[in-house]
Amino acid sequence: MSEAFYLEIQLNGEPFYLLPQKAIYRPLKKQLFFSDIHLGKTTHFRKKGIALPQQSKLKDIDLITSLINHYQPLQIIFLGDLFHSSYNNEWLYFKSLLQQFATLQFILVKGNHDILKDDIYAIKNLDVIDVLEEEQFIFTHYPLENPIKLNFCGHVHPSYTLRGKAKQSITLPCFYKQNLTFMLPAFGNLTGLFAVQKNKKTSIYLITQKMVIEA
Amino acid sequence: MYPLANKWFKAKKWQPHTFQKNTWQAILQNKSGLLNAPTGCGKTFAIWFGILEHFYTAHKKQDKITSLHCLWITPLRALSKEIVAAMQTVSADLNLDYKIELRTGDTTPSQKAKQLKKTPQALVTTPESVHLLLATKNYTNLFKNLEFIVVDEWHELLGSKRGVQIELAISRLKAINPNLKIWGISATIGNLDEAKNILIPSLKNIITIKTNIKKEIIIKTILPDIVEKYSWAGHIGLKLIDKVIPIIQKSNSTLLFTNTRAQSEIWYQAILEKAPELSGQFALHHGSLDQITRKWVEDNLHKGKLKAVVATSSLDLGVDFAPVNIVIQIGSPKGIARLLQRAGRSGHQPNSISTLYFLPTNTLEIIEGAAIHYAIKHNFMEQRVPYVQSFDVLIQYLVTLAVSEGFKAQQIFTEIKGTHCFKSISADEFSWCLNFITNGGQSLGAYNEFHKVVIEDGIYKVIDRAIAMRHRLSIGTIVSASMMQVKYLSGKRLGVIEEWFISKLKPGDVFWFAGKNLEIHTIRQMEVLTRKSKGKNGVIPSWMGGRMPLSSQLSEGIRMQLNDVAAKTIQYKELEALAPLFQLQGIESLVPNSKQLLIETLETKDGHHLFIYPFEGRFVHEGMAAILAYRIGLLQPITFSIAMNDYGFELLSDTKIDIEHVLDANLFSNEYIYDDAVKSMNANEMAKRRFRDIASIAGLVFNGFPGKEKKTKHLQASSQLFFKVFEDYENDNLLLKQAYQEVMDFQLEIVRLQASFDRINTQIICIKTLTKPSPFCFPILVETLNREKFTNEDINARISKMLKSIEK
Repeated sequence: MSEAFYLEIQLNGEPFYLLPQKAIYRPLKKQLFFSDIHLGKTTHFRKKGIALPQQSKLKDIDLITSLINHYQPLQIIFLGDLFHSSYNNEWLYFKSLLQQFATLQFILVKGNHDILKDDIYAIKNLDVIDVLEEEQFIFTHYPLENPIKLNFCGHVHPSYTLRGKAKQSITLPCFYKQNLTFMLPAFGNLTGLFAVQKNKKTSIYLITQKMVIEA
Repeated sequence: MYPLANKWFKAKKWQPHTFQKNTWQAILQNKSGLLNAPTGCGKTFAIWFGILEHFYTAHKKQDKITSLHCLWITPLRALSKEIVAAMQTVSADLNLDYKIELRTGDTTPSQKAKQLKKTPQALVTTPESVHLLLATKNYTNLFKNLEFIVVDEWHELLGSKRGVQIELAISRLKAINPNLKIWGISATIGNLDEAKNILIPSLKNIITIKTNIKKEIIIKTILPDIVEKYSWAGHIGLKLIDKVIPIIQKSNSTLLFTNTRAQSEIWYQAILEKAPELSGQFALHHGSLDQITRKWVEDNLHKGKLKAVVATSSLDLGVDFAPVNIVIQIGSPKGIARLLQRAGRSGHQPNSISTLYFLPTNTLEIIEGAAIHYAIKHNFMEQRVPYVQSFDVLIQYLVTLAVSEGFKAQQIFTEIKGTHCFKSISADEFSWCLNFITNGGQSLGAYNEFHKVVIEDGIYKVIDRAIAMRHRLSIGTIVSASMMQVKYLSGKRLGVIEEWFISKLKPGDVFWFAGKNLEIHTIRQMEVLTRKSKGKNGVIPSWMGGRMPLSSQLSEGIRMQLNDVAAKTIQYKELEALAPLFQLQGIESLVPNSKQLLIETLETKDGHHLFIYPFEGRFVHEGMAAILAYRIGLLQPITFSIAMNDYGFELLSDTKIDIEHVLDANLFSNEYIYDDAVKSMNANEMAKRRFRDIASIAGLVFNGFPGKEKKTKHLQASSQLFFKVFEDYENDNLLLKQAYQEVMDFQLEIVRLQASFDRINTQIICIKTLTKPSPFCFPILVETLNREKFTNEDINARISKMLKSIEK
């Protein structure tokens, strides 16, 4: 992780680090944000007879672990779609992550895929809520239609296609800001992308494996 | 000798052909065989009366069997209908108790259930429906008395995965009934013997029967009056429409073939505008149109009520339309066999001549008219390359057997080893496939919740009903993009259209489909509700789909024509017409003879262009471009945008390439072609595209239940995601390896690629520096869609370069 560089930006006067690992670190409050991880997808598919390789399921948990170790946050916040559909054994990996960091607080802002039964979410250091609101910011899974303050959200899985000379192009996942909406990229390695467009009201932060660059 | 046939032919006042009598005799002698005959000469009756005579000779009244006796497989539903009708007429005319029924995707579930309870003697069906039968319980009982399997239009099926399905089905049916006789019907192809051996493996008593009926074919090229004013880079050819209308008006009935569905829509619209008097007797036919519409067009063509029809390959095969006397091929025919097949759709009246007009869509394409004459004169004919080691089809087949009666591994292994496709499969590879369907490709371990196929007492079977149901719905090897229904507000169906096209439109937008201007009213789930628009013409959908390369035979024809131009020994009038173009090419650059390889360089505001002209078809060019890009990349970090057509290709870069320097570094070496192709990033990109079909056939990508697409959304993942995950975690996955192998065999055409590198090594390289685009490079230069890329530059460096160029 040491060779990868984050990009620091100011939002309402507060610094946020956009991480090339497709997450956000907020130094002032020591919070780490993830969106659209879709844990459990591998096993969900395999249970239905679709042979996604098993090894893929540990990659996301491993990366979350190493980011926690690196940034030493106090809170870890998931902006929805933490788990893909119905319960399966992969939840146990997530549970052991929470046990490993028992002193940290984990918060799930619910998304459309987060449909597990309440007793499964009943873990000591996990809070499940529909929306997280502060004075200057509001955190949701779905982008709010008419936010009145800056809205951090997931759901969309934004990506942007950059075009250059000699008919070249590259498509990359990105952070995306338009007016009061700030979209996080999907963190999960088994997720797709949705193309967003650029205009005068948008800021696009492209993610390569090594760094985050404003387009 | 042949009581039924004689009686029937006599009543019709027809004289049987020699090949028909030979076929009857062979079938009565319990032979299997291949009948090589063009459509429209009575091939169906050649086989059919053999089977009837065999049935009534072998089964006297007392022991008449009432179970399935003959399975007749065709590639097309439309063709199946026609054949069933012909067979039923025979049974009715002769008052026979031999029953024939249709079983295809159009057969209703209740009819299908009835067929299993009270089986007819013959079923006319498609490869997919045969596999669906293998997925039903008691299929061994159904097939236990099967005597004959007939594969119609085998040449069409051979070079596809549907051919593999046929091979597998035959391996199973032969095991159930060792006396099974197998008959194939095939048009002429370059590898007819191989085709026979693949269809009828390891049987004795095999015969090939050929017809001696020769059909006269006339081929003419439609030439523009002033070649200089014709389109240099078009794909449509509309400037020649004024020459097309009189041909249609003078003919009895004309078929216009295009290469893409978009072309067919455009031509349909343009002809109606030019000749409104045709409306009502002019129609459109392509694969995306609703079945009812297509059936209407076919019926009316038959009855002679249509003056002209614009069609795609949807009308290539099958049913003969007697009234059709002229065929027009719009755009490159791509191959000799394909051209002759299309030409053969005309002139079905006795003793009439097939006439085909070739309409080139751009100036340079006129040369193909000459190449066609040359190739036909020299009896060139393409081969159909069969698929081997198609693990995706095998995996689907194994699950099919597990869904119905279950299977024993050793028995099926022995059976499939007898097919051409899997004759070299190893025990390890077979075990891998078994493990893939039982353990999801993993070693047994904790938390493995995979259980598609389970093993009970040595029998592999599917016990989960939802899995069985999903599997039955996904049987088949034709993979299409996600499709949406196009309907009128009233609910009347117009056809289907690719989801990605509609995703770019919104309600109120107008698009041109099924020959109509449609305004989108609402888009909901998988339906587009529309109303007729009176406004301006809408966008024309460009359907995705394989772009067929020019065949190696036709490519050679073109190179020989250029050689004649360079040597001033031209023979055909197409080349005379092209004289101004060749003159310009000669001034700006060079017309290469067969001993020269032409390379052109050009600098424009887009960057530095390098054009190379091997004249080998777009697939070989794609592979060669990737290999050259990789080799140049070894000398310097570089990014290329790559475009190609059937004549040559372009490497476009933002930095200048020193061409002399890279040539000195042995750019065109004919060694390590395979390795360099694999190492070029494009092999990876191409494999990813190939993997789309493979993942779907092997059951990884599930496209949802008809009408319930939404409910299965949580089980959908793109094949690209599987590709990436397999590359990261499971690169010994046989499906992944198959994707790369298919790229080598069918995309890069590695054998042909190697041959063209070998040829280039005997040629003199001629480099021309252009000051403006030459006639040869222009069509490639303006290609903006359908570009490939190659890069070995650092991604961050590329991004900062792009961001900088945007700032400027």
